[in-house]
Amino acid sequence: MNFKHKYLFLLPGLLVLLAILIFPIGFTVRLSLSSWDSFYPALDFIGIENYVRLFTDDARFWEAFGRLSLLSVTTVFLQYVIGFGLALIVWKEIAFQRFFRVLFLIPMMTTPVIMTVIWRTFFHESLGPVNDILSHFNLAPLWLSSETLSKFTVMIVEVWQWTPFMFLLLLAGLLSLPKEPFLAASIDGAGPIRTFVYVTFPLMAPISIGAIIIRLIEASKIMDTVYVLTSGGPGTATETSSFYIFIKGLREFQFGYSAALSLTYLIIMIISFTIIAKILVKLMVRGN
Amino acid sequence: MRVLYTSLKYLAVVLWSTFVIAPFLWAVSTSFKDFQSVTNGATYIPWVDFEPNLEGWRDLWKSPAQGGVDIVEPFFNSVFVTASGSLISIILGTLAAYALSRFTFKAGFIRNGDITFFFISQRIMPPVVLAIPFFIMLGKFSLLDTLAGLIIVYIVLLMPIAVWIMVDFFNKVPVEIDETALIDGCNPLQVFYKVVLPNSIPGIIVAGMFCMIFGWTDFFFSFILTFTEVQLLPVAIVALNSSITPWWSLSAAALVSVAPLVLVAFIVERYLSKGNLSGALK
Amino acid sequence: MSLIASNLSFKPGNEWHLDNVCFEMSKGQIYTILGRTLAGKTTLLKTLAGLISPDEGTLTLDDRDFGSIPVWKREVAMVYQQFINYPHLSVYENVAFPLKQRRMQSDQIKARVMKALQQVGLDGFENRKIQALSGGQQQRVALARSLVKEASVILLDEPLVNLDYKLREQLREEFRNIFSSEASKDSILIYSSTDPVEAMQLGGQILVMDEGRILQQGTSKEVYENPNCTKVAQITNDPAMNLFEGRVENGRIILSSEIDLELPQHCKGLATGSYIFGMRAAGITLNSTGFPFSVELSEISGSETFLHIRHEMIGVVGLLDSVQNFNTGEVVRVQFDTLQLYVFDQNEQLVSSPYRGLE
Repeated sequence: MNFKHKYLFLLPGLLVLLAILIFPIGFTVRLSLSSWDSFYPALDFIGIENYVRLFTDDARFWEAFGRLSLLSVTTVFLQYVIGFGLALIVWKEIAFQRFFRVLFLIPMMTTPVIMTVIWRTFFHESLGPVNDILSHFNLAPLWLSSETLSKFTVMIVEVWQWTPFMFLLLLAGLLSLPKEPFLAASIDGAGPIRTFVYVTFPLMAPISIGAIIIRLIEASKIMDTVYVLTSGGPGTATETSSFYIFIKGLREFQFGYSAALSLTYLIIMIISFTIIAKILVKLMVRGN
Repeated sequence: MRVLYTSLKYLAVVLWSTFVIAPFLWAVSTSFKDFQSVTNGATYIPWVDFEPNLEGWRDLWKSPAQGGVDIVEPFFNSVFVTASGSLISIILGTLAAYALSRFTFKAGFIRNGDITFFFISQRIMPPVVLAIPFFIMLGKFSLLDTLAGLIIVYIVLLMPIAVWIMVDFFNKVPVEIDETALIDGCNPLQVFYKVVLPNSIPGIIVAGMFCMIFGWTDFFFSFILTFTEVQLLPVAIVALNSSITPWWSLSAAALVSVAPLVLVAFIVERYLSKGNLSGALK
Repeated sequence: MSLIASNLSFKPGNEWHLDNVCFEMSKGQIYTILGRTLAGKTTLLKTLAGLISPDEGTLTLDDRDFGSIPVWKREVAMVYQQFINYPHLSVYENVAFPLKQRRMQSDQIKARVMKALQQVGLDGFENRKIQALSGGQQQRVALARSLVKEASVILLDEPLVNLDYKLREQLREEFRNIFSSEASKDSILIYSSTDPVEAMQLGGQILVMDEGRILQQGTSKEVYENPNCTKVAQITNDPAMNLFEGRVENGRIILSSEIDLELPQHCKGLATGSYIFGMRAAGITLNSTGFPFSVELSEISGSETFLHIRHEMIGVVGLLDSVQNFNTGEVVRVQFDTLQLYVFDQNEQLVSSPYRGLE
């Protein structure tokens, strides 16, 4: 179909989005070429100085990026494995099936920062229930103030919050699968494990790839949780890219430099997602 | 073998359920505590471990001047911003998704797929990248610290979700239905509101739920772009997370903020079991 | 009073969907567009409806420029092979939809809808939900919706192809009655099909289509008796007409070193040279004095048997009047009924047919 009415449908949304975004993006590019900060708040032009600084003299940015990669890849992997497992379980007959489906969805409906506030009290090192229980075993881990353990705590919270999203996408996928391949597998006498390896998993590959990419994109933005749970600490132990850009821009007010950080980060993200998507397709869609 | 498999299955479900419920139970218990019972160390069951009181819950209605937290206004601000942002995003997003699903667009090297990608790719943008320019832009138009300013930002946040879900939805509706309506005398606009829209309600509900979830749970933009005049619920609650945290009112407020969306979980599950969601999510 | 298409062409990619299509159709007649899948039948119907704008060519209806009228004002009707109705409306509302769109008065709408529902045998179903109907009933609703408009052009795109065999036969018969009735004497009916039998049964004119072109137009009898080229011969027969190459020399047809046939009366006078010969499956029968062929496959269809057989380069399908079983590789003796022989030249054009003799 091709009628000139098509523009009436597309343009309102497209123009609104462009109108809202064009200034921010253009301005960020311009800002990244200036030295705007709280001492000198003006749009001067310093060329690519900010970018030089970022690539030669900012180990903290790259450390934050490495930490983000570790955090997001690990948590998304865990979310995928757990989410797939749970989806498989409640996909088939199980007591209280619908109750568990609802229950497993609930965390994604909750506001991450607000739940993180609760988690902070939950992992509180002297007054929280976790250490209260562990104290019976004479353990008192420093969930929020140890460099290694605080990363682990962030991961627990992320897995709790977002496994449901993975669960939802995968369960919706499972429910939409055709019945015939499973019938064929059961006629061939395949057990649950063989059925999963040769039927379920390959059929779910496209949905899995989509779900993993969506979650990686969302996970790469992680910062609310970190801000509330540890404020990036102790030291910089849980500082992610977004949080670092936030500190440079909106805590230290180095607007020019943070714009350069933002753009660099954005480009790295786009490139990484493209590569990751390609790798995932190769890994999961064998034979096709 | 069969027994082992079943018991492992139930063990996994019970363990995960416990993990899911634990922070809620803790929050419920804490919301009935006072300073005394919080600082005495972790306690769990009211009347047994500690003497419950309603101070945390009463604080929610008291103004800050009286030592309360007053989440009533932030609650309704959040409702208003989320609802308006979702509504605008759904309307614009559904129209755009229909255009992208049904018509062919060509402009230089740009095709339908590229336009769809442009919409959806806005989700890749980390909030922090947009926060500073938004801050400056809204400042220019005197929209900082206003509900209108936040709604504008929410449109960027939510329209990609609406477009993503609705394009997939429309792609599954046979185009022949639209063609039949054209042949039966509807112009393309009438086709949309007389035939397509009434048959798209499941997709729109799913898109609406996702917009509500992502709007209601957003923290960062309202945190950066509002100060004193306008406060949304998450910001109001996180503000309590200061040096001397009143855990009891914090927990009560958190439960209030989380409750409305838990209802959404029930709706999502209904759609999931009826098979309407899978079509809208793939 | 006629619909004239001239030079309709449409080439969205590298392939022609419509290639210089020309025809003239008149009211009160039924036209069957016969062609294999992807021959361009649907594209042609959609072009007539106005859903596709052709790259070139014009359409006129009663001397009006039909092609420049937007779909929604064109007053055509169309039934798809998928059962397309409005899922959110009841049966009555579905059929009333095009009339409401014309702002007709409601008592008038009611009368027309009831009449159309009666025509398709769905009276009493007015308040049913579309989803609660069977496939055949859904297609009846779609048909009623196309009849109720009393449109000047009614398009039916393989409307029966997704129904099971028995229902297809039954509905085809009903279609024919409806189309030959008084109500459709002011309409041009265009029916597309892949099934030659269906096209013959509907009667009327046949337009044979392949790769976007109209290969032949004529009455069903004409097209059956004198297919103008090998492609038409294949498309209009099920199973497709057998084609095999051979030479005409000294009054005989030489197909291979072992097989040569006498030139039948209607082919006398063929010049010496190479030709393509055509023979319907019914022309190839078992005979103990015939030529040896080996069986590749035998299919039983009702009370008949289709026998796929081969001799060197010649692979043909024969039709037996009885149910018989054969083993693959088994040698059978067959004879060719040369009175039913078609002859095409090297350019695949008809040279001689049993009904018209040599051209």
